[in-house]
Amino acid sequence: MDEKSIFEEMKGKGLSRRDFLKFSGAVAGAIGLTQLPPLEGQVQAASPRPNHNLSRVTRALETKSRLPVIWLELQDCAGCSEALTRSQSPTLGNLVLNLITVEYHETLSAAAGFQAEDAKLAAMKKYAGQYILVVEGSVSPKDGGIYCTIGGRSSVDILNEAAAGAAAIIATGNCSAFGGLPKADPNPTGAVSVMELIKDKPIVNIAGCPAIPEVFTGVVAHFLVFGSLPELDHLHRPKTFYGNTIHDRCLRRPFYEAGKFALSFDDEGAKQGWCLYKLGCKGPTTYNACASMKWSGGLSFPVQSGHPCLGCSEPNFWDGGGFYQGQSAPLDKPTLTAAGIAAAAGVVAGVGVAVANKAQKKSAEHEEK
Amino acid sequence: MNWTNVLEFARGPFFKVALLVFVGGMVYRLVRIILLGWHKDLVPAKGSKVVGAFKSFLKGILIWPFIPWVKNTFKRNPLIYIAGGLFHLGLFVVLVLGTAHMLVWKSLLGFGWATLPLPIVDWMAAVTIVVMIMLFINRLINPVLKLISGPAEWLNLLFVFLPMVTGYIMTHHLWFRYEVLYSLHMLAVDVLLIWIPLSRISHFMFYFFSKAIHGADFGKRAVEP
Repeated sequence: MDEKSIFEEMKGKGLSRRDFLKFSGAVAGAIGLTQLPPLEGQVQAASPRPNHNLSRVTRALETKSRLPVIWLELQDCAGCSEALTRSQSPTLGNLVLNLITVEYHETLSAAAGFQAEDAKLAAMKKYAGQYILVVEGSVSPKDGGIYCTIGGRSSVDILNEAAAGAAAIIATGNCSAFGGLPKADPNPTGAVSVMELIKDKPIVNIAGCPAIPEVFTGVVAHFLVFGSLPELDHLHRPKTFYGNTIHDRCLRRPFYEAGKFALSFDDEGAKQGWCLYKLGCKGPTTYNACASMKWSGGLSFPVQSGHPCLGCSEPNFWDGGGFYQGQSAPLDKPTLTAAGIAAAAGVVAGVGVAVANKAQKKSAEHEEK
Repeated sequence: MNWTNVLEFARGPFFKVALLVFVGGMVYRLVRIILLGWHKDLVPAKGSKVVGAFKSFLKGILIWPFIPWVKNTFKRNPLIYIAGGLFHLGLFVVLVLGTAHMLVWKSLLGFGWATLPLPIVDWMAAVTIVVMIMLFINRLINPVLKLISGPAEWLNLLFVFLPMVTGYIMTHHLWFRYEVLYSLHMLAVDVLLIWIPLSRISHFMFYFFSKAIHGADFGKRAVEP
């Protein structure tokens, strides 16, 4: 690994102490200071200064060297990488230049073909047991993995090989976290999530379509500063960012409570910014940080821009009911034919039992006579 | 297996099957009752049976609820009358005029309607839950009711109570995650749908038939043999 610490590298590039502290602040913010690990108490006791969180981050950046990252793209659209390039705090530029070294990334790297593959192998060897493996896109083990191959090797092979030496795995986006679009019914490629294949490594799922870039940088920063993954929920998503639903933090929530709903995308309700629940918003069951962190540097997020939440950070969201159908609507309902058959069965059974009863009664009367 | 899977099951295949059982079961019950036979008109009717049936519905909806004290049922046990009335009103408001429920109807029927603001629906749901508990206690301590209450009566109360309570807790985001309560709510609803044709909760449909038949009898104004 690099001998130099992050601070030394930044100093070498001519960054001032002020810039370094600013950067530390951004990193501390990205980690999500509401849920610091247990160390917090000890640091608090040791340091009388109130900004102990910042000082902890600063100390880590001063002593630790940059984190090697290998980024795999399997059945993906590169949307998560695209989103990450628009990360605001810290920016991808900051992240790549200062916090991490991206050893392999098909979309971002200048090298291509065998050159790039060789670089990946070399990095995996050099940083064995230390690197973070980021996976974007789902894996396809069906039919021997023929539906997704890179350089003639199946996605399963590539993932297994890279996962073996990883310190931790970050599955970014819904595809690698839960299967995403490729897994949607009828799932022709037999797509699965990383979690379903890799069982022996710590995995953090940064679900979303795409994943919120600041959440990714936050998790990376956490790993760098504390040397561990943040606290995760039952779906392996960091609790700091996936602790609340979109509905909980939604700016349109008061309209929901008041029963004021937009009924179409261009009616008066939509213009007034009313709740989008009736237009199919999945906010109540969707855990993500969109409503609080927002996108594009806190500019907006889908619900704010007038579109209902699709529930993209939840498993199977493509099959979780129509995007514009109310969330309470059933996922499956009987067809008219099925209902007709059920009703006909009711009629047949009813008539049958009634006729049988009458016949029994008649024969009983007959016997009495 | 996580709550998302349970929710998908309860909102998907289980709901579908429950609805089919409900439809088939209710049709079966209706056919059985109709085929029990009708009594013949032995004397010519002096009045209109249709008008009689119509009047009977109007009285039941527009008059009796507002002057309950003239009814014997009210005089004998006002609690049952008022609590029962509030329960049915609450159930109607929640099931038909609640936004989330209207969307279920819309997906099944293909059309929707205006709904009430959440606070109103919410208070009605709370009232419904409270009167259900009152009616439960009443059934526990009233000697006559105790005598005629079998397992089916207690299950009726339970199977209606569960969707109400899970729905209420879910709306208020209390104690559990939303999808957990949503799953429990849907499971409870599915069980209720299957239970209705097997139980006396089916009176929601037969009420209208018996009311019509009684009304027609009143409207006939003929001397019965």
